[in-house]
Amino acid sequence: MSWRERWGSVLPHLVIWPPILISCGYVLVFSAWTVWLSFTRSTLMPDYSWADWHNYSAMLATRNWQIAYTNLFIYGTCFVLFTMAAGLLLAVLIDQRIRGENIYRAIFLYPLAVSFVVTGTVWGWLLNPSIGIQKLMHDLGWASFRFEWLIDRDMAIYTVVIAGVWQASGFAMALLLAGLRSVDADLLKAAQIDGAGPLRTYLRVVFPTIGPIFVAVLVMLLQFAIKTYDLVVALTAGGPGLASTLPTVVVYDFMFQRSELAKGSAAAVMLLGSLAFVLVPYGLYRKWKQRKAEAHA
Amino acid sequence: MPSRIALSRLAIHATLIAFAAFWLVPLLVVALNALRSTEDIAHAGVIGLPHELMWSNFRETWSSYCISQHCDGIQPYFWNSMRMVIPATIVSTLLGALNGYSLSLWRFRGDNVVFGIITLGVFLPEQIRLVPWVIVLRDLGLFNTISGLVMIHIVQGLSFTTLFCRNYYVSIPQDLLKAARIDGAGFFRIFWRIVLPLSPPILIVTVIWQFTGIWNEYLYGVTFTAGEQQPVTAALIALSARLSDAPQYGEQSAAVLLAAAPTLLVYLFGGRYFLRGLTAGAVK
Amino acid sequence: MSNVRRRTLLAGSAALLAAPRMAHAQGAKPKVTVISQWSAGSDGLAITTLGKRFEQEGGIWEHNPVPGFTTEMMNKLRAQIIAGDPPAVSQLKGPEIAAWSKIGAVVDLDAQVKAAGYEVVVPAELARLSKPYGHWIALPIQAYRINTLFISKKAAERVGVTKLPATWAEFNTTAEKMKAAGITPVTNGGLKWDDGMKWEIALCGISPDAYRKAVMQLDAKALKGPEVLAAFRQFRKLGEWSDPGAAGQHYSTFITRYMKGEMGMLLMGGWAQGVFKQAGYQFSDYMIGPAPQDDGKVAFDLNSDEFIFWQKKQAEFQEGQKLLAKIVMAKDFGPMYSQITGSIPVRTDTDLSAAGFSDGQREAAKAMAEAVKSNRVILSLAHNMAQPNQITAAMIDVLTEFVHDNRISPEEGQKRLAEAVDNVR
Repeated sequence: MSWRERWGSVLPHLVIWPPILISCGYVLVFSAWTVWLSFTRSTLMPDYSWADWHNYSAMLATRNWQIAYTNLFIYGTCFVLFTMAAGLLLAVLIDQRIRGENIYRAIFLYPLAVSFVVTGTVWGWLLNPSIGIQKLMHDLGWASFRFEWLIDRDMAIYTVVIAGVWQASGFAMALLLAGLRSVDADLLKAAQIDGAGPLRTYLRVVFPTIGPIFVAVLVMLLQFAIKTYDLVVALTAGGPGLASTLPTVVVYDFMFQRSELAKGSAAAVMLLGSLAFVLVPYGLYRKWKQRKAEAHA
Repeated sequence: MPSRIALSRLAIHATLIAFAAFWLVPLLVVALNALRSTEDIAHAGVIGLPHELMWSNFRETWSSYCISQHCDGIQPYFWNSMRMVIPATIVSTLLGALNGYSLSLWRFRGDNVVFGIITLGVFLPEQIRLVPWVIVLRDLGLFNTISGLVMIHIVQGLSFTTLFCRNYYVSIPQDLLKAARIDGAGFFRIFWRIVLPLSPPILIVTVIWQFTGIWNEYLYGVTFTAGEQQPVTAALIALSARLSDAPQYGEQSAAVLLAAAPTLLVYLFGGRYFLRGLTAGAVK
Repeated sequence: MSNVRRRTLLAGSAALLAAPRMAHAQGAKPKVTVISQWSAGSDGLAITTLGKRFEQEGGIWEHNPVPGFTTEMMNKLRAQIIAGDPPAVSQLKGPEIAAWSKIGAVVDLDAQVKAAGYEVVVPAELARLSKPYGHWIALPIQAYRINTLFISKKAAERVGVTKLPATWAEFNTTAEKMKAAGITPVTNGGLKWDDGMKWEIALCGISPDAYRKAVMQLDAKALKGPEVLAAFRQFRKLGEWSDPGAAGQHYSTFITRYMKGEMGMLLMGGWAQGVFKQAGYQFSDYMIGPAPQDDGKVAFDLNSDEFIFWQKKQAEFQEGQKLLAKIVMAKDFGPMYSQITGSIPVRTDTDLSAAGFSDGQREAAKAMAEAVKSNRVILSLAHNMAQPNQITAAMIDVLTEFVHDNRISPEEGQKRLAEAVDNVR
C-alpha cells in the first residue's frame, strides 16, 4: 500500500472515533460517577468513603422525595397527554389548508425559543392571584372570579402542567404536522374513494401511518418532563411548602443547597432509574418493529 | 344558508384563533410590561396597558443597567453569549453530522449500542453533570474560560445532534452509497459529495435546536465563567434575583425581550425549515 | 483534613503573613479575587464601594458576583476549590464557615485580629462563628436584626395603634383589630426562608432561652417542650393572618398594598428598610422596632455576612488579604458599608450618629449592644446562622409545609420538627 493509501484508510478512523468515543464516553463516565457518588458519604465535596445503601434509604424516607416522585407521575402524565393532545389538535387544524398557516406556525412555535426560567417567571406573574389574571378579573368587575391554583397545595403542580404544555405543544405540533403532511397522497385518495369522511380518514388511515412519529414525540416530551427544573423553580419555587417539588429540584436541593452530594446523587440515580420504565419498553418496541420489517422484506 | 363546509371552516378558524390568543398572552404581557414603569406594574398588577411608553426601559437595560461594578447594561453579556453560542452550535452540528453519518452509513460492530448510549445523554439532568465537568475542565486547564464552556456545550449537544442526524441519514438509500463506493469514493468523498448536500433540512433543525438550547442555558454559564464573561442568562438572573430590592418588573420585562430576541428571530425565520427537517429527524 | 494538618497549614500561613517586607520588596501590588452573590441592588453597590476603597489604598480588586442566590454562589465556590483555584476571599456565613474550612485551606488571621484589638468589639457569637477551630479565619462585614417589626403607618392609623405591640398577646390583639377593619394583618411572603423566619421570630419572642436550646443546640427536650409548641401556635396564627396569595411570593410584592394601608405588619430583618427606600417610601411611612418579646427584655436574632479568607500561595494575594482585613476591621468600615445596605456595623463601638444611618438602624445597633451584654443574642435559623445547611433545610421543610397546610396541627408540626432533626442529627 502506498503512503497515500495507508493514510486514506487511517484518516477516517481518526475522524470517526474521537467524536463518537467522546460523546459515548461522557455519558457512560458521568453516569457511572454519579452512581458511585451515591454510594459514598460525600457531603460538601466528593469523598471516598463507603455508605452502602444509606443514602437511598435516607432519601426514600424524606417527604421531599416522596412528594417529588408522586408529582413526577402526575406532572409527567398530564404534561405528556395534554401536550400531545394539543399538538395533535393544532396539527390537524392547520393541516386543513387554512390561510395564514405561517402566522399560526410562528405563534405556536415561539415558546420554544423562550427559556424555561422566563416561562416560569411570566406564568408565575399571570397565575398569581394578587397581581395576575385573578386581579385583572377583579379589577374589571368580576369579583367572584377565582384562579388560585398557584397557591393551592393540591393544585400547584397543575400550574406547572399549564406552563409546560404552553411551552412544548408547538414542538409536538411541528412534528405531527410534518408527519401528517408526509402521508402518502395515494392512501388518502383511496380512503376518499372508499367514501370515508374526514374523521374516519384521520382515525383509520392517517394516525396509524404516523404511529412512529407519536412515539418520537412521546420520547422527546418525556425527556422534557424528567429534566424540568428551571420551570418549576421559577413558577412555584416548589411551593406552597413542598407541594409542587419535582425530583430534579430535590437533586439540586440536596446536592448543592444542603451540600449533601451523595444523597443528591442517590436521588438522581433513582430518577434516572425510573426512566428505565419508559426507555426499556421503547427499546423493545423498536426491536419488535425492526424484526417485523425484516420479516416482511 | 351556510354550507356544512363553511361552518366547519369557521369552527376550525375559531378554534385556532382561540388557541393562538392563549398562546400569545405571555408574550403580550411581557411586551406591554416592558413599556410600563415598575411603579405602575407594582400598583396595578402585571396585566395592563402602559400609561406612557417607557422606551427607556429598553435603553437602560441594554446599556446602562448596573450589574456589580459595571453599568453597561446587559449588552456585554449579550455578546458573550453570542461568542459562546455560535461556535458551540456550529461545531456540535458538524460533529453531530459526522457522528450520524458514521453510525448510520458507515456501519461497524456495536454501532447500535453506541448510538443508544449517546442518545441516553439526552436524558441526563444537568445537575448531576456539574461536578464531573468541573473536574474535567480542571484537568484540561480550561476552567473559567469561554473555551471550556463552549467545549461543554459541544459535548453535551452531541447527544441531540447525533440523534437527529443519524435518524435522518438512515433514510438515505444504500444504493447511492454502494454506487459511490464502486466508483472508488472513500469515507470523506461520500460525506462531502453525497451526504452533506442532502443534509440542509436536518442541519437547520440541529442549528435551531442547539442555538436555542445553549443560548437559554443558565446553570453552566454561571458556574464555568466569571464576572465579565458571563452569558446573558446570568445577567437576566442578576436582574431578577434581588434580595434587597423590590422586583423591577419593567426593566425585567425589557431584559427578557432583549435576551430572547435572537432565539425568537431564529424561530420566526427558521420555523418553516424547522418543520420540514423535523419529520425526517426523529422518525423511525 | 485532619486537625494536625490543618494546624500546620494555618501556622504556615501565619508565618507567611508575618513577613510582609519580602512581598513589598518584590513590588507585588496587593490583589484580591472575591466571590459573592451581590451582583445588584444595594448589596452590589456596597461591595462595589468596598472595591473602590480597596483600590484607593493601592490594591487590585477583582469581584466576581454570581447572579442568583447563595446556592449558586456556593456552587461557584465549590467549583473553584475543586479546580484548585479558590478566590482570595469569598462571602460565607454561619456554620458553613466551619464546614467549608475543612475542605479548603484557609488563612489564619489571628495576628492581625489581635493587633487591631478586634475581638473585644465584636459580639461573642460572631467571634465564635469566625473562629470555629480556635483561629480567626473569617471576618464579619455586617449584621442584621431578624426580629424586627414594621407597621404601616396608614394601617396603624386606621385601627388606632400608635406604638408597636410589645408582646405576642398585644400583637395578636392588634392583628385582630386589623382583620376586623379589613386589613390583612401580616405582610410576609411565602418563600421558604420567610416561613422559617416567622417561626423563629415567634420562638425568640416567647423565650430566647428555649430558642437557644432547641434551635442552636438541638436539645431534644427543648424541641418537644411547651415553648416550641407555643411558637407553632403563634406561627399558625401568623400564617392565617397572611395574604392567602403569599405562598411562593417574595414579601416585596406586597409593598404597595402595605404602604397604602391594606396590609398591616411585617416581621422581617432590618434590610427591609433598604427595600422600602428603593421602592420610593420614606421612614415616615412606617413604624419600626423590635418584634414582640414576651418577657419585655431585649433579644437579638442575629444574621450576618462574613468574608472567609482562602489560602493563596502568591504574594500579591496574601498582601491583598492583609489589606482587605485591615479595611474590614477598621472603625470606619461599618459606616461605609452599612449606610448603603441598611445593616448594622459589626463593631459594637461604632458611632451611628451620622446622617446616613436611619433611626431604625440606630435602635437595632443599640439593641445588639444591649443583647450582647445580657447574653441574649441568638443566631437565625432561616438565614443559615444557627445550623449547617443540612439541618436548616430539613427544619425549614417542616416549617414551610406546616404554615401552608392548615390540616397540620401545632402538635403534629412540633412532632415532625423533632423527627426531622433526629433524622439529620
